[in-house]
Amino acid sequence: MRTKLFLFFFILIGLNVSAQEQKMTEAEISTFKQQVNVVSKKIKTLSTDFVQYKHLDFLSKDIETSGKMYFKEPALLSWQYKKPYNYSIVFKNGKILINDEGKKSAVDIGNSKIFARINKLIVGSVSGNMFDDAAFTISYFKLKGKNLAKFIPKEATLKKYIKQIELTFDKEDASVVQVKLLESSEDYTRIVLKNKVINAKIDESVFTN
Amino acid sequence: MQKSTNPFLLINCFWLLVLVSCSSVSKNYTPKELDQTKIEVPYFANSKNDYVYKTNISVYGHEMSGIFIAKKINYTTHRVVFTTEFGNKLLDFEISENDFKIHSIVSELDRKILINTLKEDFRLLLKQDFKIEQAFENENFIIYKSADGNQDNYLFLTKKESKLEKIIRASHTKEKITITFTSENDSFAQKVVILHQNIKLKIELNYFKSE
Repeated sequence: MRTKLFLFFFILIGLNVSAQEQKMTEAEISTFKQQVNVVSKKIKTLSTDFVQYKHLDFLSKDIETSGKMYFKEPALLSWQYKKPYNYSIVFKNGKILINDEGKKSAVDIGNSKIFARINKLIVGSVSGNMFDDAAFTISYFKLKGKNLAKFIPKEATLKKYIKQIELTFDKEDASVVQVKLLESSEDYTRIVLKNKVINAKIDESVFTN
Repeated sequence: MQKSTNPFLLINCFWLLVLVSCSSVSKNYTPKELDQTKIEVPYFANSKNDYVYKTNISVYGHEMSGIFIAKKINYTTHRVVFTTEFGNKLLDFEISENDFKIHSIVSELDRKILINTLKEDFRLLLKQDFKIEQAFENENFIIYKSADGNQDNYLFLTKKESKLEKIIRASHTKEKITITFTSENDSFAQKVVILHQNIKLKIELNYFKSE
């Protein structure tokens, strides 16, 4: 059960709405995709701080949590929440390793296709390389100093949990600065990435939970 | 003659047993004069507050964790949402004394028995006032008994500060659910534990402050 619950989260990461969105032209889309692909292809390791804002329309303010994320090629991934609680989750060799305030658990997900898919989605979201994913209908927009790609799931199962994923890119370095996942028109999770470091050596211990 | 009295004896013994076990919760306490007829529970009652707790659920040896969010949305009703740590919603519902409406639920949790259990737990947790019929006491607590359908709720208030620390929900024969509150002031609970006695289910809520 735990596995499945986790999968849900992972199916969700991101979306962004802005007042001054302007649709890209075909030529702009092509340039933008190429630029992002060049950047994301260079990524061997990545570490970044993140702040997560959970927005539920009936709450008076967003629920804010924060921490660090690490990725290492080809498929090592670690999310570490540091504030206001310690909770980390590592994807490693077909396993999900959880450390919840010192309480450890592991879930074997084996060769699960859905796991591979989720992993791809997360890594794709953070690195920005999600444009070849046939599971989404993608549209492209320009913002002030930023580019925005919106991903709408095609499959009904995915659609049930994610209405839309939005990745916001810095215009200068073509890296993802925000991931937003819309559950409905009112409720979403917004993850802001900052202090991103690419291709620095990452201590293996971050992937042992 | 001897034979004909036996069934009555048996029946009497049976009733005696029922009566003795009737007061499963209160039997250890001394009856006390009633000093109030209604108790208001403050812990989830302020409609201005977002009540956000890290939650750990242990059910028959399986562990789950996530975020529990509750908000009083009008005079009678709370909105309750469970999400994973990552923010995706697992369960979203509205609950009051008489109504229960699910806004969304993931298919893995969509089981009648689970929903009914959570409904009973959270109705008790979020209940804002209890009508009191009887009072008891022991060394540290005044225990108020409130009837609720064919069950009884027992509220344990400290003698010292009149702070609600525990609610026990019981049938006539046995305890069913125990909710314990840890509270530094008397308006807000830092920690809540919901423990079931008849099934292996424990829900722990630890308040956290968003930055």
